[in-house]
Amino acid sequence: MQALLARRNIVAVGIIVFAILPTFANAYIVFVANLALMYILLSVGLNMLLGYAGQLAFPNAALFGVGAYTSGLLRLEFDLPYWITLPAGAAFATLIGLAIALPALRLRGLYLALATIAFAQAALWVFGHWNSVTYGGAGFRVPPMDFSPLPIDPPTGIYYLSLIIVLVAVPLGWNIVRSRIGRAWVALRESEVAAETLGIDLTRYKAYAYVVSGLYAGTAGALFSALLGIVTPESFDLFQVIVHFCMVIVGGIGSLWGGVLGAVILVGLLEVLRTFRDLQEIAFGGLLLFTVLVVPGGAIAMIKRYLPGWNEPLRRIGKKR
Amino acid sequence: MLAYLLMSGIATGALYAMMAIGLVLVYRSTGHINFSHGELFMFGGFIAYTFFVILGVPYFLSLILAVIGGFVLGILSDRAVYRPLIKAPPLTMVLATVGFSFFLKGIARYFWGSMEGGDYVAFPAAMDPSPIPIGSIMVFPQQLLILAGAIVFVVGFTIFFRMTRAGKMMQATSENPTAAYLSGIRVERVYTLTWGAGSAIAAAAAVLMAPMTLLSPDVGFQLLLKAFAATVLGGLGSMPGAIVGGLLVGILESLGGGYVHSGVQDVSAFIVIIIVLILRPAGIFGVRNIRDT
Amino acid sequence: MSKLIVSDVSISFGGLKALDSVSFDVKQGEIRGIIGPNGAGKTTMLNVISGINKPDSGTITFDGTLLSGLKPNKIAAKGIGRTFQTTKLFKGMTVLENVMTGAHSQLRATPLSAAFNFPSVAKEEEEAADRAYEVLEFMRMERFADHEATLLSFGQQRLVEIARVLVGQPEVLLLDEPAVGLSVTRVSEVEELLKRIRQERGITIVMIEHVIRLVMGVCDRITVLNSGQKIADGTAEEVINNPAVERAYLGSKVDVTD
Repeated sequence: MQALLARRNIVAVGIIVFAILPTFANAYIVFVANLALMYILLSVGLNMLLGYAGQLAFPNAALFGVGAYTSGLLRLEFDLPYWITLPAGAAFATLIGLAIALPALRLRGLYLALATIAFAQAALWVFGHWNSVTYGGAGFRVPPMDFSPLPIDPPTGIYYLSLIIVLVAVPLGWNIVRSRIGRAWVALRESEVAAETLGIDLTRYKAYAYVVSGLYAGTAGALFSALLGIVTPESFDLFQVIVHFCMVIVGGIGSLWGGVLGAVILVGLLEVLRTFRDLQEIAFGGLLLFTVLVVPGGAIAMIKRYLPGWNEPLRRIGKKR
Repeated sequence: MLAYLLMSGIATGALYAMMAIGLVLVYRSTGHINFSHGELFMFGGFIAYTFFVILGVPYFLSLILAVIGGFVLGILSDRAVYRPLIKAPPLTMVLATVGFSFFLKGIARYFWGSMEGGDYVAFPAAMDPSPIPIGSIMVFPQQLLILAGAIVFVVGFTIFFRMTRAGKMMQATSENPTAAYLSGIRVERVYTLTWGAGSAIAAAAAVLMAPMTLLSPDVGFQLLLKAFAATVLGGLGSMPGAIVGGLLVGILESLGGGYVHSGVQDVSAFIVIIIVLILRPAGIFGVRNIRDT
Repeated sequence: MSKLIVSDVSISFGGLKALDSVSFDVKQGEIRGIIGPNGAGKTTMLNVISGINKPDSGTITFDGTLLSGLKPNKIAAKGIGRTFQTTKLFKGMTVLENVMTGAHSQLRATPLSAAFNFPSVAKEEEEAADRAYEVLEFMRMERFADHEATLLSFGQQRLVEIARVLVGQPEVLLLDEPAVGLSVTRVSEVEELLKRIRQERGITIVMIEHVIRLVMGVCDRITVLNSGQKIADGTAEEVINNPAVERAYLGSKVDVTD
């Protein structure tokens, strides 16, 4: 019975549900499911930086914004198709991610947190004040994606595009953490000195973490601008940071599948409280605090304790010994 | 113009310094940075607002009540959040205090957020707001009050540290927790006192600042960033550094705002943080740490 | 033939001389002990060799190439592995994964090749797991392969840490008090292990140790440090009978029986 609840089965059911959802659910449910897909990307990306590599950095919401602004503006100003705007948004966010990584690599712990939180605020300020490009505080509308010649309406198109991206991006991330890269990240998280004396180049592997999480955040941002059809600075403020943190922590820090779970669970809460900023803040702030204090391993730690088939080795499982 | 900008820079800088002192105090004794420090500031402001505006208590009494309220809030936070995590790695404490900051922000928004329509409430002037001439420059009375208040609190704080038993214990603990513990100091109590004191001084800063600006649940984070800038500039963990750093940030943004662009005020904090951390991560007064093994 | 040459190494922290022109050289296949009272600079010596601390002056040469100035990961990749006085196993990894991390320099995966699971990655992962398993067998620790590493007993964690270094096939192994806190029988096991590491793997060992019985039992030569200076260098016999060593240990004769 418990074996039925193994991860592979749950994930399979999840994929099927997501795949057939638009055939029976109403537009709003599909929209929320689409948000969930987007947050899965954000959560997986942030987990690699924060959970695996242990870098106490806040750039994620800003890079999410960079992805959204880049792809949205390319769509608006140059009328480019999604298969250009999307990779462009992702690529530019990755580039910016690398750009912050360069100075950030010299910093550790609290100094890193301070520097990247400053960067996040700087990015937000640019979004809100570079009027000639970003349209300032009011933001701009993004023309809907055009999927022609495919006979798909934009919301359905974006939904399935998001699903396909998630179905590719999560396994890719899963492969990365189950290799020497994932092990190097965990090693430098636990002890930089020990990692270094085992031959791990700290600078390089931290940079990898920034770049990969930037790529995921930028991709999510590009989807976000198409999904909402409007890009404004406040979508990428500090509250967005805490939503991402919450998904990673509540799901399980340092657990890729925990982060996926966290994103799916918390998107519902975020939506229910959509119009109540204060309650959103209380709920997400409180939940983050509660998890750190009471269940530091997050939901995935409880699942791993009671169900088989959820463990996450940091290597490929080859032949049984 | 220059004198005026300097005056207002010093006044706001004094507020930043007060915030930074709270951060440094906690950092020195516990090794943690309190990301909810800004919200403790903001709460102090709203406590004073409640007494001063809603209940009609005089300004100075409201100030004292807010400081007491801030102290109590700091102690409660210590019990609920900080103490269970005091030995946790920085990452855990940062996540917890970030979560806590939003929790407090949400509560403030729930109670005070929609009082006057928008997210902002106006905090009436504590005294006649018209500027008075001192020599050749015009000075707002509230600026003088801020300066006076900041000096009183900083001096009071120093005296507390140097003279009182509790203050000496705090200093001993921050210098060597183990030795302090072995010599019979109840380190946990000292930590509680530290968080409480940091919160109280933040509340005082909020009440001094409020009449100059508006009060909103989001104001805490702005001030936290300025305080970060001040501590980073002065060197994380240096008390004189925090004060000098705070004043420098205040003056810098006032001059920048006056001579360069009014937007400088918004960006001063993160520009200072980024530049200092890239060029000289140990700050002006900081000592470079010996690398741990 | 000297494997590792430390010559005139000095380093100070905040005015305090931790090492004061220390020189010694280690031959291929030798087991070298470093002893000395607390604060003598022993761990700093290992830190300087492995690149964690940069010497203020002096050089370290390994097989004729200059090490001083290189970053720790470069030095590790050249074939110098080390363990720590307080074990630094990685939490959140099993024993096998910890040991596999030690094979980092021998693997080639990049984020791209790992993400798309290139055949080369699958192959090298398999080989790394095999090698890690083989080292665990060598250490007689294979039954713990799938245990969470940081939940093992203290003594077992020390062994895993040695395994994690061995898997990287170092030529020189720097051990910081491998027997600290171990029971008498455990110390004998470590003694036997160190001899096997030299015999079967041809690895040169430099170890700091306080357990004199172990030092006397396995070390070919011993270097004695005191207050950052080398005060003696030689075989166990020579060192014990050196009056300077006696004085360093507060006038009490070094306890050989232990």
